[in-house]
Amino acid sequence: MTAPALLVATGITKQFGGILALDHVSLDVAAGEAVGVVGPNGAGKTTLFNCLFGLDDPDEGSVVFDGQSIDRMPVWKRSRLGIGRTFQRMELFEGMTVADHLLVAEQAANGTVRIWRDLLHRGGPTPAELHHVEEVLDLLGLVELAGRPVDTLDLGHGRLVELGRAMMGKPRLLMLDEPSSGLDAEDTTRLARILGETRRSTGVAVVLVEHDLALVEATVDRLYVLDFGKVLASGGVAEVLADPEVRRAYLGSTA
Amino acid sequence: MSQFFNYAVPGVPFGCVFALMSVGLVLTYKASGVFNLAFGAQAFVSALAYVSLVQDGWPRWAATVIAVAVIGPIVGIVLDRLLFRRIRTASPLVKLVPSLGLLVALPQVALIIAGSTPTIPPPAIVGDAQHVYLHLGSVPLSGLELSITVSTIVVVAVLVALFRFTPVGLEMRAVVESPRMTELAGINAGRISAFAWILSSMMAALAGVLLSPLYSQLDPQNFTVLLVWGVAGAVIGRFASLPLALLGGLGLGVAQQVVAGYLPAGVIANGLRPSLPFVVLLVFLPLARQRQIDDPLSGCDPPSSAVERGITGYRSATTVAASEGSVHTVGVWHQRLDALPGGRMTGILTRRPTATFSWVVAVVAVASALTWVPPDWLLTMNQGVAFAVIFLSLTLLTGMSGQISLCQATFAGLGGFMAGQLANHFGLPVVLGMVAGGLLAGALGVLVAVPTLRLAGLPLALATLAFALLADNILFPNSWIGNGASGVTVPRPSAGPVSFAAAKPFFVLSLGVLAVAAGIVKLVGDGTMGRYLSAVRGSELAANSVGIDVYRLRILVFALSAALAGVGGALFGSLEGSLSANDFGYQISAVLLVVVAIVGLGSITGAVVAGVVYTTLQVAVTSLPTRFAGLVAVLFGLATLSYTRHPEGFLDVLSGRVQSVVAERRARRLPGGPTGSGRRPSPPGDEATRDTDPVAEGAG
Repeated sequence: MTAPALLVATGITKQFGGILALDHVSLDVAAGEAVGVVGPNGAGKTTLFNCLFGLDDPDEGSVVFDGQSIDRMPVWKRSRLGIGRTFQRMELFEGMTVADHLLVAEQAANGTVRIWRDLLHRGGPTPAELHHVEEVLDLLGLVELAGRPVDTLDLGHGRLVELGRAMMGKPRLLMLDEPSSGLDAEDTTRLARILGETRRSTGVAVVLVEHDLALVEATVDRLYVLDFGKVLASGGVAEVLADPEVRRAYLGSTA
Repeated sequence: MSQFFNYAVPGVPFGCVFALMSVGLVLTYKASGVFNLAFGAQAFVSALAYVSLVQDGWPRWAATVIAVAVIGPIVGIVLDRLLFRRIRTASPLVKLVPSLGLLVALPQVALIIAGSTPTIPPPAIVGDAQHVYLHLGSVPLSGLELSITVSTIVVVAVLVALFRFTPVGLEMRAVVESPRMTELAGINAGRISAFAWILSSMMAALAGVLLSPLYSQLDPQNFTVLLVWGVAGAVIGRFASLPLALLGGLGLGVAQQVVAGYLPAGVIANGLRPSLPFVVLLVFLPLARQRQIDDPLSGCDPPSSAVERGITGYRSATTVAASEGSVHTVGVWHQRLDALPGGRMTGILTRRPTATFSWVVAVVAVASALTWVPPDWLLTMNQGVAFAVIFLSLTLLTGMSGQISLCQATFAGLGGFMAGQLANHFGLPVVLGMVAGGLLAGALGVLVAVPTLRLAGLPLALATLAFALLADNILFPNSWIGNGASGVTVPRPSAGPVSFAAAKPFFVLSLGVLAVAAGIVKLVGDGTMGRYLSAVRGSELAANSVGIDVYRLRILVFALSAALAGVGGALFGSLEGSLSANDFGYQISAVLLVVVAIVGLGSITGAVVAGVVYTTLQVAVTSLPTRFAGLVAVLFGLATLSYTRHPEGFLDVLSGRVQSVVAERRARRLPGGPTGSGRRPSPPGDEATRDTDPVAEGAG
């Protein structure tokens, strides 16, 4: 890893009642790198995501993004710093169209909204913003669906909209929380392809929490295995998956 | 210490009554998901039945049994079956509006059924209310106080026994913990929740019957106050714990007497007592919010159906024209981007076919007002315009941003008082006073918003309700603000040589103010703010995660909305010539919200129609013989019932119907044209929108 570290999480610990969800978990992501986080259900993957993203406050540990500590930073500020994320249970803006999702995200990322602009009828999107929306629509193959309310989309396209929304504002890190859950093989393949294209064209770094090992292997450079809130193993994908302990804890439980 | 004792003991009976309400509220909230503000009205209904029966010569024990054990549960079951069972998973607004509507309508309906208000002072259920039976230390205990305390202890004992030792009690405890888990265990949560309704309605009924002798006359208002105390107790119980709610209610009863006892008499002491619930709510609501995620299966709720979920505006205004694969918006909130095949983006804003009709009606109405309409009608119309401005503040706050405020009337009142005070004391022109009133209300809005807006939905609604109560008791009586019962005069404005004192010029001025207010709402809705707000309504979590500072956005909208309400209140004050605290009491806020929700929170037209409807109804109430005036309340109640079926408001339903008729006519008139009548735009908000794509539904 010669590239400078983009995200460095050190000793993240989080306790819910009597349950130790995360026990001194450390994780780092280099700029442009794709890192996978796998582990059985309840291993603490989503909690780790929430701690990194600011939805949960870790009891211990620190998170540094791009050389800057973001420990006490609210979610929306982290987002503006350049962290985009998707959710395991989809969180779409019901009733809004696909294009609107991207536009909202773009404007929010730019932080250009002022109420007086709206009152002077100057609140509309700028050409540059619209252009970026179009670019991302194009990248995700959503142009045809741009005007559809998201409620009418199927799950696969819904996940793409979430991905697109996270891509607006040109983030440097994408956090994807089980993007393939609920998708069929065809949708997953498409997702993997689009994810690959996205990384090539934007150079964005990715943290991927995922159960689908095919998607993980197709996407990530490096892998962390979580089990009972601890990092069980980390390193290159092939060697981690070959680790007997990993096979017992993770693959064994699914077999 | 003994002095504390002297103050505290008389508080116990109050506390008992509050505690009954609190426990009832928590019980139904946890068992059925509805925070039933109509408990205040249910308490009144039973109290009315009790006093009426006693007046007709029934023995008091029999009247108590009928009122508490028969009428109370019947009302509860009817409400559960007709109304609340349907809205278990609906949005907070859809859950709240019906209970608010019933809070207002139910007492009136009961008064109609009873025929007349009882004239005798309400008696205690046992013993002589005033007679002192024994002394506790040096504190005399009257029959009333004893009867309240003893019967509450009995009820609590019965409850504890029920919960501890019976299978139903066990199941109910399970439902209160987690309705979904209980259902998974094979228990019919619906049956248990019906049982919870019966129990809690009986508690509300008992609270009403016990409380009534504390006042010399039966007045629905007293029972609303009782409700607010009960709410505060429920909040202390974090909406979840029955024992805590019980203790909370009891503690509040004692606390209010102690506060009143220690503080010197005066505005502050008199005001502090009724505003204690607000303080309690501010302190305890944040705690209550954290508890809500304790249900292990929370978040596993099935997505509610489209109609229930969509509050207003955006969703119900969406129409999919599947035939062309493109989308047209018939809504107003903001322009949709439509990607054309060439990749070019254009804003498309289609007008409702009914928009032209509304404009024609508006123009005819204004033309008539300025020509042949008699003066008293003109006054009503002008009041309608002033209230339309206030309703617009709700269109912005509730319709667009999804927040529920039960203190809009308070902001309106503050704006009006400010305009009047500035004109009277400093000679500020009234038009400027209106602006200043709006600004003051907006500033106050920020003050209210900062501590309360971290809470959304129900907790926010309750906090604003408590604030309204606080304003009624502390701010409005102050001579620098509302000047108590005598009120504040608000002159009609004049600008240089132009005077707006006469009715017609003032009407024109009012229209101007309305136009500006409507313009603000429309610009905000169409602009980026509107887009942000619908994003936040869709998913607050996701909105935060794309970089929207949701908290700040909420404060901004709340302040803007408060300012609009303030301007509307100032306009109304100037129209009437004077304002008093009664014009904008806290119960008015509830009525305003219900009215505009029923008419339609999704559009500017909705606010204007709501203004006209509201003032017309008021004229009807005052000018009709009392017997018929009650009918207005019945109508109000019925409209409330229908609201749960059409949360988008009747305007949208109407225009949806018109639209589908128009569409059908057109389809028929074009022979050989696309025979897509089956694929026509579904009328917004009508049954058709419920049929969402099954695939998409699975995605939720």
